[in-house]
Amino acid sequence: MLQTLFDALSLGSLYALGALGIALIFGVMRLVNFAHGDVIAFCVFALLWPSTDAMAIVFAGQLPWYLLVPFVLLCGAGLSVLCEIVVFRRFRNANPATMMIASFALGFVIRYFLLMLYSSRPKSISLLPALSQPIEIFGARLPLLQLITIVATMAILIGLTLFLRQTRFGLEMRAAAENFSMARMLGVRANRVIMGAFALSGALAGAIALIFGSQTGTVDIQMGASIMLMAFIATVIGGLGSLGGAVLAGFLLGAASVVMQVALPVDARPFRDAFVYGAVILVLLFRPQGLIAARGTKERV
Amino acid sequence: MAYKMRIVATALASVSLAFPALADDEKIVVGFATAESGFMEAYDKPAQEAAMIRIEEINAAGGLLGKKIEVVKADTKSDRAEGAKAGLSVLDEGADLVVVSCDYDFGSPAALAAEDAGQVSFFLCAESVKAGIQGVGPHSFSASVLAPVQGATMAEWAFKEKGAKDFYRLLDTWTVYNKGICDGFDWMMPKLEAQGAKLVGEDTFKNEDASIAAQITRIKTLPKEPDAIMLCTMMPGAVSAIKQLRAAGINSMILNGSGVDGSYWLSAVPDLSNFYVPVQGSIYGDDPSADVNKFNTVYKEKTGAEPSSQYVYPGYVMIDVWAKAVERAGTTEADAVVAELEKMKDEPTLFGTRTFTPELHHQNKARYLIVETKAGKPGVVGEWTISEPVPMEAILK
Repeated sequence: MLQTLFDALSLGSLYALGALGIALIFGVMRLVNFAHGDVIAFCVFALLWPSTDAMAIVFAGQLPWYLLVPFVLLCGAGLSVLCEIVVFRRFRNANPATMMIASFALGFVIRYFLLMLYSSRPKSISLLPALSQPIEIFGARLPLLQLITIVATMAILIGLTLFLRQTRFGLEMRAAAENFSMARMLGVRANRVIMGAFALSGALAGAIALIFGSQTGTVDIQMGASIMLMAFIATVIGGLGSLGGAVLAGFLLGAASVVMQVALPVDARPFRDAFVYGAVILVLLFRPQGLIAARGTKERV
Repeated sequence: MAYKMRIVATALASVSLAFPALADDEKIVVGFATAESGFMEAYDKPAQEAAMIRIEEINAAGGLLGKKIEVVKADTKSDRAEGAKAGLSVLDEGADLVVVSCDYDFGSPAALAAEDAGQVSFFLCAESVKAGIQGVGPHSFSASVLAPVQGATMAEWAFKEKGAKDFYRLLDTWTVYNKGICDGFDWMMPKLEAQGAKLVGEDTFKNEDASIAAQITRIKTLPKEPDAIMLCTMMPGAVSAIKQLRAAGINSMILNGSGVDGSYWLSAVPDLSNFYVPVQGSIYGDDPSADVNKFNTVYKEKTGAEPSSQYVYPGYVMIDVWAKAVERAGTTEADAVVAELEKMKDEPTLFGTRTFTPELHHQNKARYLIVETKAGKPGVVGEWTISEPVPMEAILK
């Protein structure tokens, strides 16, 4: 029972971090950033030396953890900000659909860039191997990584909340999320806020990359896609633009997925995701605006 | 530049299109309609290199029917629509044998083009029964061994040689290949259960799952850790599943299909032990056959690296058996070659024997070497051939 709770929390953490990365950008720009998954993949590939051999040549991945973690986070933040400057800045006044298509295109560019440098063959990497051992906690035996994932996610969430509530930058970001043009008129600098959101979102992608990479030991150009999908669904059922909603929905999705895997009979288990998506549809039927609707997105009467 | 190249290529293609029959009599043409770019390239290229080695050997020994084998290539770009075009393109260049992508889904468009033209096609290393008569037609073959044979081999070997009694079945529902391994396991299990083995549980996961924690928890709630876990999966999810199983402290034997062969991924699970894979030949330099080890050296000389997995070998087998059939038929005429191929029964090759029948252009029984990974080091520990061939109903399940 306890073990299942930990399973649900650790999977939920991954989805919640992903959803948060998407919600942050949606908040300030009304952009659903489909390139987010590819930023995750890029962060893991950044640890390898470019080569098309089957054997991965680990490069930055050999750094000690206290350098490795900031390196990956910076990679994510850097790439994300670069995307903003090079691509999304030009679409700032475009309608959301155009921006979404642009983000799809950008995702493909990143993915094929990785394909060119590293080939399509999934590679293996031993990332933070010290975390791949079981530990005993309250009678449940679980991989250390699972615990670290949960603790790190909590720390990130608390840190982010403090940042948004206590700092001036956070205040500006929340103001921008609520009403962007009004915030600008009141002296919030748009470029700074948007770049800040992209940097945060990219760093979150880096965090996912670290967890995902050390959990699966695999580096694959498509690895971001499945998390991206789940994270996107989480942002939708959480209420687009609502940060709290995205996190809550991320955890719920993780829990739903684990509970279905545990509860379904063996013949139905291959269709687990169909049941999970079924639950998503139900949620949207009853709360089309999402679990926690963002204030800025409500129709004004 | 690329554009100009393309014009030249188109011009050349149209020239050869205009005179396809001209070349036929002086030479024998093998056409590769395989992926030279995109994601299938990583899977097609190694087997294709091995095929090229066999072709060079044959040419060095005087050729086939006294003629040199020529090679033409067309890139499928890892795309099914391009695959059909690539098939037509090599046929236009007079291919007597059309070699297609490793995977059934990606190879079948080119194979169907060859079938329509009445030419022999060979899948480089597809392990689905559809890669052959059932999914393409009577002129289509695969050079590898059916996936169910791998599952059946591992189950029987673990029971007979390792004394494994309690089996657990963990299926990744992503591909037909994965399901095939478990189908073979399912067919073998009742026979073993009659002799005292037991299936203590089963579960499924998806290759792309970020975590299989829930599946692992289910294994951990068993009263006793199973002796062996039949893991029906493939890359990249396989690494993730293995890593998570071991990280959770499950130390059961892990039985696999050939898809996880290779040492390139072992760094992800340091000091992996009690891990078993069936292979057609060993890439680790310890194959019982000296010729296989010699082949590995030749392969390294030619490509700069040793084979990365056993999926290199079917490429060599393919040219080998096809060339023998052509030699025996005395012609490259498709129906005669197919008839000769179908006469092959336990035909020896460098990497085990091959049998083709008018019902099945694939292997439903094969000798497998068993590779054990112990403390992170893979090596051959045994050899196993299943007691009886996997029947058609288990293959088509």
